[in-house]
Amino acid sequence: MTTLGRQLSIGPTDNTSDQRTPRQRLKLIPETARKSFVPYVPARYVSRTHEWDLTRISPDRPRAHGEAIEITGTVRTQSGAPLRHGLLEIWNANHYGRYRHIEDHSGLQLDENFFGMGRVVTDENGQYKFWTISPGAYLARPDIGRWRPKHIHISVSGGSSRLITQMYFPDEPNNHSDPMAILMGDAFERNVGTSYETPNIDVEQGFRFDIVVGGRNATFFE
Amino acid sequence: MTQETGQKTLLPTNEDTTGPYFPIYFRDESLEDLTRVDAGVVGQAKGTPIILRGRVFDRHGNLANGVLLEFWQANAKGLYRTPETEGHTDIDPWFNGYGRLRSASGAYSFRSIMPGTSDNRAPNITVTIFSDGINRIVTQVFFPDQSANDADPVLNVLTESERHRLIAKHDGRTADGAEVYLFDIIMAGDGETPFFDDLQS
Ligand SMILES: [Fe+3]
Repeated sequence: MTTLGRQLSIGPTDNTSDQRTPRQRLKLIPETARKSFVPYVPARYVSRTHEWDLTRISPDRPRAHGEAIEITGTVRTQSGAPLRHGLLEIWNANHYGRYRHIEDHSGLQLDENFFGMGRVVTDENGQYKFWTISPGAYLARPDIGRWRPKHIHISVSGGSSRLITQMYFPDEPNNHSDPMAILMGDAFERNVGTSYETPNIDVEQGFRFDIVVGGRNATFFE
Repeated sequence: MTQETGQKTLLPTNEDTTGPYFPIYFRDESLEDLTRVDAGVVGQAKGTPIILRGRVFDRHGNLANGVLLEFWQANAKGLYRTPETEGHTDIDPWFNGYGRLRSASGAYSFRSIMPGTSDNRAPNITVTIFSDGINRIVTQVFFPDQSANDADPVLNVLTESERHRLIAKHDGRTADGAEVYLFDIIMAGDGETPFFDDLQS
């Protein structure tokens, strides 16, 4: 057993990762200071009631372009306890691979019916559900032809759980060249949703994505 | 309380980069100024108002645009607000201690109150950084001229030059009485800010 903190890795072909990844080993937190490093995020119920359905900007507006999908899952800590009333902040590119974000200068097509940002809160059992449009892959490095595979960004906060992650899609050709997926190695599979059929609801397919918030922090205040 | 309750049986979901497009739409101004509950509501946090401001730099000395910064601190009495401390007489009902902002440019300004000294700890604020290209990185910022700095267990694992990088610089007072502190973060390379973790390699 070593007593050194982690040496972070740089995502291959990711310039930003090269510019921003600390080069020094992380310092291990001294035991007597651990508690101070664990934020307790107060519950903030800022989700508007229609935000669970990203396929429309609001219930009275048309469906956005592309394939409507459902994402469901349970958020737990590593010891298996559900994260109740946790806030999920969700954002994904539209069908064409464009974000409705003021800093997305890709020039890809916007969709007047797609916002691409929404928030949901987990229920008593840690379960969540939202609908969105299956995102387009987008070209992250035109100079070397590297694409970002289809993905949905999800930020989880609540209690002493805090995680920002991405859900990927099964069998996508660009999954294996993604810098962060490469760093995850075999553990990448945990970030891939599992497809299921949705015969009785108004979406074309569903993906199950169970989230486990890791680290010692996640269970500190259980 | 024990530090770890329960057996860890589940494999964690991988953290991933925030990417460049964390929605500004999710901004919550009440998390950018912890001195009051909300601009339109009566309810002031106790303590000395402070402004913590600075810039986040990358390895080349360029501002790191699009960073999401989160803050966590004790109240003026040195008490963190967690389920464990709820009902404690030193809890300030108008202070939660959790802040968040997203900086488009890499420069930031966060308004809060000076955290108190707690247990064996010097006044400090935990700063968590999310951005494109990285997963979460975490550090703590300290304040100059605090006698408790000398015995602080976090400062004491650092070399002399590393310590200096975690102590903010006092930079006067605003017209409305907030003490201003400067704290620049260097994510990588020369003068790199020390970052902390609880996973061993
Ligand atoms: Fe993205």
